[in-house]
Amino acid sequence: MTRFISKKDLITWLEKLIQERILIAPTTKNGLLLFQPVSEVEDIVLDFQNTELSPKECFFSATETLFAVKREDGRTELVPATVDRDTVLFGLHPCDAMGMAINDKPFLAEPADTLYGQHRARTTLIGLPCSKPTTECFCTSMGGGPHDPTHLDVLLTEAEDGYIVQAVTGKGEEILPSSVVEREIVSPPPPSVEPVPAAGISEVMERVFEAPYWSRLADRCIHCNICAYVCPTCYCFDVRDYANGGRIERVRSWESCQSPGFTRIAGGYDPRSSKGARLRQRFYHKLRYFPQEFGALGCVGCGRCIRACPVNIDIREVISDVQKLGAKIGT
Amino acid sequence: MFRSWGQKLEHNPFIPYLATLKGKLDLTPDIKLLTLELDDPGLRDNFDYRPGQFAFLSAFGVGEAPFGIVSVPYRKQGLEFAVRRIGTVTRALHELEPGASTGVRGPFGNYFPLEEYRGKNMIIIGGGIGMAPLRPVINTILHHRPDYGEVLIINGARTPQDLVFAPEFNLWRGAPGTTLELTVDRGDEEWEGRVALVPDVVKELAPSPQNAIAITCGPPIMIRFVLQRLKELGFADNQIVTTLESKMKCGLGKCARCNIGDKYICKDGPVFTFEQISGFMEQF
Repeated sequence: MTRFISKKDLITWLEKLIQERILIAPTTKNGLLLFQPVSEVEDIVLDFQNTELSPKECFFSATETLFAVKREDGRTELVPATVDRDTVLFGLHPCDAMGMAINDKPFLAEPADTLYGQHRARTTLIGLPCSKPTTECFCTSMGGGPHDPTHLDVLLTEAEDGYIVQAVTGKGEEILPSSVVEREIVSPPPPSVEPVPAAGISEVMERVFEAPYWSRLADRCIHCNICAYVCPTCYCFDVRDYANGGRIERVRSWESCQSPGFTRIAGGYDPRSSKGARLRQRFYHKLRYFPQEFGALGCVGCGRCIRACPVNIDIREVISDVQKLGAKIGT
Repeated sequence: MFRSWGQKLEHNPFIPYLATLKGKLDLTPDIKLLTLELDDPGLRDNFDYRPGQFAFLSAFGVGEAPFGIVSVPYRKQGLEFAVRRIGTVTRALHELEPGASTGVRGPFGNYFPLEEYRGKNMIIIGGGIGMAPLRPVINTILHHRPDYGEVLIINGARTPQDLVFAPEFNLWRGAPGTTLELTVDRGDEEWEGRVALVPDVVKELAPSPQNAIAITCGPPIMIRFVLQRLKELGFADNQIVTTLESKMKCGLGKCARCNIGDKYICKDGPVFTFEQISGFMEQF
């Protein structure tokens, strides 16, 4: 037997979740499909290929206050930001859930990032399987899959006049409504996804570090940083202070290793001053350093960077090229 | 091992400890010695650190930046930092007046394993503000003077005015079996000492690699040539130790800014031997 919820009951459930929590789901804004807080269930887009941006914003905000500095009568107090509401992130695909699990590794490694941990603890992930991968998708080569429930709390798979309900975690089980019933129903097969030759990529990367390939590839990079912006697992950040009319806050925001000056130190010395070295850093971090440190590739194969790149730098091509280069260079 | 930042503490690792600026002393025209005292007396007594570790200092409203801790933990006179005015945060720190509230996050990173170096001749080679992380090394060695062999300190700067720890030179010189060699790029009317580049002084003095450890810190170009000279003298890569500077935002291995290849300067370093550095995938 399989658990099932009708479309009508799903709508009732989502309406209830909107009342009780913050519900973030794919909605259209200015012609872009984005994860946004929703107040009306009818605004939620259920049938889509992929959102423009990943939902990493829910846990690791593009700009977020870490603490405020309060000054009164010559005394200073630091007031940490805290997460005080429960959130449901609805409608994310398995690749994005995997992206969150990847981000957990650096952020929750001891000493854990408190704010990220709070966002994570107070958010429940209700995912939808991916039924129409884009032509740029390659999740199956990165250890995921269009129907992979692993990193979600609940997976809802469309079938007949409703959804097959799969509670993956205890947190997911807790949030399910009583309208979930048992029914004899067969899950549709996952769609096929074009593979890339990623097997052993981490090891091959070690051999091609010095190859002129990287600076040639970077010739056309305009360091616009869009790859990092759309990426579910790019997590470089900046920390700055903002002082506004007596209110002082320390703020964290997204950064990109592609920015000129990302590694420039006081006095002007920049150990990674060339575009080639910076672009190489991006691919090495995802395909070599991150796996070395955390045992997983730092890419989920969502294809967003490929769609967004204005000069057609394509991580699938990079992976194939590295394999070829590695084979040429030998061990 | 002692406690590292954020561990065993119910503490958000981005929230600094509040501290009060107790003292501000001009070391050179652009370097000040800032002395801080942690506001929480419990933390003050338990703030444990080693020579080579660093901490972030906050100028609230302007930002924070990492600095080597230049005091030594066994002297409970406060936390000292040698801050060179070179950007917005350092300018704001220079402008703080004693009594001002600031913040400290740390200590971070590894440290110079001075216990391991007991019994060895120590050669300390620093240039400019690169003397900052070496000062606690020198003072710790001199504090445990009988534990070490000969100590040779080579300290260079652009001009005599830029020699950072001049107030301590007599103390260093006066220690038994300790030689202090000063050198500048450009002298002035009063300067009677050497006018030479640090690597050339290393070559001239030619310290023996026998049972020795060389610790060096300074501008990248100086480090590069000091390394060459030391290797010419027969020093092996694992006898030469340095501390690396990097742009960093967290100190926790999270902001992904200070890596050299797969190593993070903030947590795998900042102290490395040249044997380790030459094994890095990415070379700076």
